[in-house]
Amino acid sequence: MTDVAANAPLLTVEGLEVAYHRVAIALYGVCLRVMPQTIVVLLGNNGAGKTTTLRAISGFIGLDDASITAGCIRFAGQAIQGEPPHANTRRGIVLVPERDKVFPNLTVAENLAVAVSHRAGTAERQRLEALVFQFFPALARLRSQLAGLLSGGERQMLALGSAIVCKPELLLIDELSLGLAPVVVEDLVRRVSSIRQELGITILLVEQNASVALAVADYGYVLENGRVALEGPAAELRGRGEIQQSYLGQASGEERRSYRALRQRPAERRND
Amino acid sequence: MELRLLGTTRQRIRFALVLLVLVALPFVATPFLLDLANQVLLASIGALALMLLTGFAGLISLGTAGLLAAGAYAVGVLVREANAPFWVTLPAAAVLGALLGLIFGLPSLRLRGLYLAISTLGLHFVVIYLGGEYEAREILSTGIMIASPSIGRWSLSSGREWYFALLFFAGLALLISINLQRSRTGRAWRALRERDVVASALGIDVQRFKLMAFMVSATMTAVAGALFAYFRNFVSIDAFSLYLTVQYVAMIIIGGMGSIPGALLGAGFVILFPYAIEALAGLLPARFSNTVFALDYAAFGVVMILFLLLEPAGLIGIWHRLRASLATTSLRLPR
Repeated sequence: MTDVAANAPLLTVEGLEVAYHRVAIALYGVCLRVMPQTIVVLLGNNGAGKTTTLRAISGFIGLDDASITAGCIRFAGQAIQGEPPHANTRRGIVLVPERDKVFPNLTVAENLAVAVSHRAGTAERQRLEALVFQFFPALARLRSQLAGLLSGGERQMLALGSAIVCKPELLLIDELSLGLAPVVVEDLVRRVSSIRQELGITILLVEQNASVALAVADYGYVLENGRVALEGPAAELRGRGEIQQSYLGQASGEERRSYRALRQRPAERRND
Repeated sequence: MELRLLGTTRQRIRFALVLLVLVALPFVATPFLLDLANQVLLASIGALALMLLTGFAGLISLGTAGLLAAGAYAVGVLVREANAPFWVTLPAAAVLGALLGLIFGLPSLRLRGLYLAISTLGLHFVVIYLGGEYEAREILSTGIMIASPSIGRWSLSSGREWYFALLFFAGLALLISINLQRSRTGRAWRALRERDVVASALGIDVQRFKLMAFMVSATMTAVAGALFAYFRNFVSIDAFSLYLTVQYVAMIIIGGMGSIPGALLGAGFVILFPYAIEALAGLLPARFSNTVFALDYAAFGVVMILFLLLEPAGLIGIWHRLRASLATTSLRLPR
């Protein structure tokens, strides 16, 4: 694990507030710090504000008719809130979106070719493309296949591959596990971890699947109703049973509980 | 990836054969057939332009007739006011087209689909209004007469000369389209057509490429309009109705969305279709023949609906299927 406290954070989010259509508030003062070369995970249930946070960082909320009403986002010391997505990509912030992440009408090779790498020269781009096929050997034999014909796992690999070709410094991944079999997810997560090691990049990962995410992350935040409800080193979060219970659905037969509800009723839970 | 246009020997032979037919055609065709061929060549420029915009970049436009009118009027006004030669008017039409493409492409940054289509209709009505105003102010009841383009004593007037001129321009438009399709620009257009969010995430400047699609398409269309003015020796606002726009939209749908050969096939089909219907109607008893005009429109509508329902991939889709079934049957035809 990387030493988290050593140097300045690559990304800081301070008091971030986001409102959709000017009225529906999604985030109430979210604060995050992402240290260089770490994997940080954002956990939370549906509607907690995870995706909104990622889209605010990458500049996509403008497209959703949402806007940042307060707070600031700094990347490598620069304020970046309100910048368009492609400008952020040029800075080195690359998002792998939740769904619809590949171009179904382009082949695998074209999907990789279409990514713009402002930050890498021709030689480096070729090296990155080669690395993609090294990380995901399955893609190599699908090179001339239309991406629309790929399986869910292959699409996720291709989406990660396209992002890598952009030479990211900060990779934002929205729901790596969405719609994928647990075996595939574990495999992908291991690969993401090795990508981090090989390229020395920083990763901010949004996940609903807490156990998988905490297995590779260095640090985690739990979002609830647009606020950070809990944060801490991943090892510490892994040890806390209530997180497992909230986000793994171990409370079988019961309705899913929010983290806060669990905290408020510890005695009751023991009686179950 | 194969990037050469004519990489293999078979491609070269095929290209040579097509070229031979195209060059020989005006020497064997009757004047009527030659005029049809010229109309198809002219239409294919506009169809290619619309294919780039709608078929590749996925941006819907109903401004084709307006842009054709703008190109034709650029020629008409410059010829009438300044007696400008074609080497001034054609570039002027291109610049005007690019400018209109930029202005009317701006809504595409905010609007999609049907909303965008309606906003491009604005282009149509603005251009038609301005053209109508000019005609009214100058008291031109029959439009503007335009002399054939000429260099020295030689002028472009016969059907055969026009055929080669239009073949040149259509070929140029084809070459530009193919190159754009295979370049970074074409890939970016196809990418943003399907998923503009991902395109943006991967560093593609979506706004720039959308505006570029509008500008390239509008420039080509306006030049086609300018050629149309010279070809007909005449510009009148009545020639550029919304029905003309519908015809161009039909060309790319019938031809096959997203396919360059499809644009050419579609242009041929839509231009020749009314003539074919007319010829068929000629076989009917005389008392039906005065309803031919209505029959033409009705049949066109029916064909459009049939294509949308039965063959969304268009003529090019039929061709691909035909070729695939030929290749899989034991009856292998030499290709």
